[in-house]
Amino acid sequence: MVQRLGDAATRMRINPLTFFWLLIVAILILPIVLFLAVAFSPRLLDQGPEWFTLSAFGSALTSHLLTGLVNSFLIGVSTAVLSAVIGFALSWIVLRTDAPARRIWTGVVFALLLTPSYLIALGWERLLEPNGVLQVLGVDAGWAHRIFYGPVGIVIVLTVKGIPFAYLAISNAMRGLGHEFEDAVRVHGGGPIAAMRVVFSLLGPAVWSALAIVFAESVSDFGVASTLANDAHFSVATYSLYNAVQAFPVNFPVASAVSWLLLVLVVLALVMQGWALRGRSFRVLGGRTRPVLRHQLSLPRKVICTLSLGLLLAVSLGIPAFGAVSASLIDGLGSLAGTHQWSLANYQRVIGSPALSDPLIYSAQLAAICATVTLILAVVCARLLASKGATIAGRILDLVLLAAVALPGIVFAAGYIFAYNLPFTNALGIHLYGTTALLVLAYLATALPSTSRVLVGTMSQIQESMSEASRVHGSGAIRSWLTIVLPVIARPLLSAWLLTYTATLLELPVSQLLAPPGYQPISVGITNTLGKYDFGGGTAMEVLAILSALVVVGVGYLLFRLLAPAGWQHIGRAR
Amino acid sequence: MILNSRVAAIGVAVAAATLLAGCSGSASGSTTSTAGSAVEPLILYAAVGWDADMGKAFTKQTGIPVKVVDDSTGPLLTKIAAEKNNPQWSMLWADGDTAFASLAKQGQLLAYTPAASWNTVGQAIVPTDHTYNPTGTTVMAALIYNSAKVTSVPASYADLLGSAYAGKVGMNDPSQSGPTYPFIAGVMNQLGGQSGGVAAGETYFTKLKANGLKVFPTNGDTLHALETGQISYGLIQSSAATGETIKVKPTADYVPKIVYLPESTLLPSVIGIDKAVDATQQAEAKKFVDFALSPAGQKVMQAADASGDSLYWPVVNGVTALPDLPAFPAKYQRIDPGYWGPLQSQVVTWFDANIK
Repeated sequence: MVQRLGDAATRMRINPLTFFWLLIVAILILPIVLFLAVAFSPRLLDQGPEWFTLSAFGSALTSHLLTGLVNSFLIGVSTAVLSAVIGFALSWIVLRTDAPARRIWTGVVFALLLTPSYLIALGWERLLEPNGVLQVLGVDAGWAHRIFYGPVGIVIVLTVKGIPFAYLAISNAMRGLGHEFEDAVRVHGGGPIAAMRVVFSLLGPAVWSALAIVFAESVSDFGVASTLANDAHFSVATYSLYNAVQAFPVNFPVASAVSWLLLVLVVLALVMQGWALRGRSFRVLGGRTRPVLRHQLSLPRKVICTLSLGLLLAVSLGIPAFGAVSASLIDGLGSLAGTHQWSLANYQRVIGSPALSDPLIYSAQLAAICATVTLILAVVCARLLASKGATIAGRILDLVLLAAVALPGIVFAAGYIFAYNLPFTNALGIHLYGTTALLVLAYLATALPSTSRVLVGTMSQIQESMSEASRVHGSGAIRSWLTIVLPVIARPLLSAWLLTYTATLLELPVSQLLAPPGYQPISVGITNTLGKYDFGGGTAMEVLAILSALVVVGVGYLLFRLLAPAGWQHIGRAR
Repeated sequence: MILNSRVAAIGVAVAAATLLAGCSGSASGSTTSTAGSAVEPLILYAAVGWDADMGKAFTKQTGIPVKVVDDSTGPLLTKIAAEKNNPQWSMLWADGDTAFASLAKQGQLLAYTPAASWNTVGQAIVPTDHTYNPTGTTVMAALIYNSAKVTSVPASYADLLGSAYAGKVGMNDPSQSGPTYPFIAGVMNQLGGQSGGVAAGETYFTKLKANGLKVFPTNGDTLHALETGQISYGLIQSSAATGETIKVKPTADYVPKIVYLPESTLLPSVIGIDKAVDATQQAEAKKFVDFALSPAGQKVMQAADASGDSLYWPVVNGVTALPDLPAFPAKYQRIDPGYWGPLQSQVVTWFDANIK
């Protein structure tokens, strides 16, 4: 079937990438463009009387919004830089040194990816709040509370959320970088720091990918900023957008106008990326990539390394885990009420409940379908983004992918309703809105940007001479790809699949707006439970969903180790 | 690049095939095409604790299938607004009548007068044009306080400005908590009326802030602040306050009690029918509203979430509230959703800039 489709594409003499672009237009460009059009033409989608007006920009552009834009930009930059620095350091320690306990980090990164920001915020709150756990233990946490509940706290929480993207993007690329470059530096008299600098610059595309994706994610955040900075008077750009969408009547034109301004921030990020990577080549992944040599750390360095990793683990995962425990395992922890006893009652209550099992199975199925399709598309996207000399198509794709991340999920989902609930398509008998198919397409669009970016680093390393040599020796296109390219990118592909699966399983805004009537994704079920002040039950459901995904991640890596041919596991291996 | 684009094309083709194959399986379960039959499924957008149970009970009674989209009010209203040029919902059921008044003003709701006999409170809520109907009511705000820690009990909103309450009062943030804008609007209505507008209410909240008012995101967070002793008085929705007194066993340090300050603002659960659906669905939806207001329907509402949403006061005669609820507050008011609804964005933004 695959062969036939490929042949058909060739016979029809259509540029094969046309299919790809049609899909991108359908799942990304059309919804975004329609949403953005509402700012100028509310009448187009029945959102106001005017066919053309600029009044939405007039209402949106207040001093409040402009302050928010500056704040969002600063938060985005700090978060991106911090995540990339930590992601790089973590990749280096895990892949290039013999630091103890380095093997747990792949698991930790996926756990971080799954941890909802509300649990991170909850954990910090339970620790630091007045009469909170620290104060009960006799530690004065008042100063920490004042610092954390403001921009500093927002940056910390968003950085924790950004680290998985940065780590996956950078570590995938670092695996493809053999030891020969470090050797070259050392042969020419450079020290370990100089060697690390060379590695860092060779990983340019991956590092910039990480910076851009974390920046865009942070700029689109609303939940973290609104919860943590609730009383700090620290406004972000998305505040005006949510205010327009959540009040009734919903004001989509103003939300759309704010989205245009968020896009300006994204364009700034892309200009910086383009400027930094201009005119260089990063093709280092070939058949002769050498296994790396792990640096043998001295004892003091091992201690420092372990302590820093321990601190990172405590802050990034320990605190949300504490939040989950305090909410779901201990009755009334830190409060004047309750027995303060350990209890599994919340888990017993939800584990057999149909409110957990049916939605979890439904979401897991959709996440698996979405991860598989996304992976294929992401390879194509990453290939286009990584192609030498920025083409117009590559630049447009880059902009669209990042725009999809920078627009808050609720806006993106509303764009889907605009695009796929048009009366005339219904008249043609096409009913996509309200079906599982459209939900999966929207998940796909939500996952594609980050998955592609995680693969950009790897794809920009592949030396085409390998495939070309294979073709010269008589292999077909597909055979060359399967035997030459696939083995060297197999492991990054696996981590990209798992990334998409885990990110999709608990996706909320798109699920809320596009889930078909009668079906409930797990994230909506959890949010509804939490919304009814059942923190214990909601958190227990969340913890069980996270554990189920971690099992999938574990099984994924185990199968790779057991089943993948030895050659596939060669790249990135250390001696 | 030719090589890669060919591989890419096949990849995309496989992707499309997988997607179609994967989805057709899941989607087929959700199509309940009933072409030619007299019954069409009702699509209920709902943010009330009993929605799924009510759907099942109604189907059992009438044979009419109900597909529930159970979510928070915010996302449901966003969906309805985004669907405006091609509505897909049959009924909306949520707390608060301001959004319904706004939908009615835009001509999106079907007027219907159910057979139910309204009690006094119900009569106060039902709009004259019957474009939507209440199914029960809570009030904003219940003042819940920790009687193990404090002895002063206020008798009016003005009392909260006194020194006995300095730094001890908390409330929810209207930009994150749905029931809180009706509360703020209620205080504004009580102090200034529709003729006076927002000014007197703004002065009141400014004074309350000067007296140390603390703002938390939602009902649950304000309750948590009360439990941890960050505040001693919390202004929250009546169902959440009563639920707390049921769920939490009193200790030496924590004994929650509730008082209703005059005047309590009505926050009804409200159901409305989409005017855009066809005649069959309109007839079915009317049956649904009648069922919800019938003794059998009210029983479903009261059984679904006994420590949460089911703690409402009935609006129809012949139904009594759950025993955990106190008598209905003597002094209450209904705020005009047509006047206060459109002011929401302005008031919430003012609150965000000046009170939070």
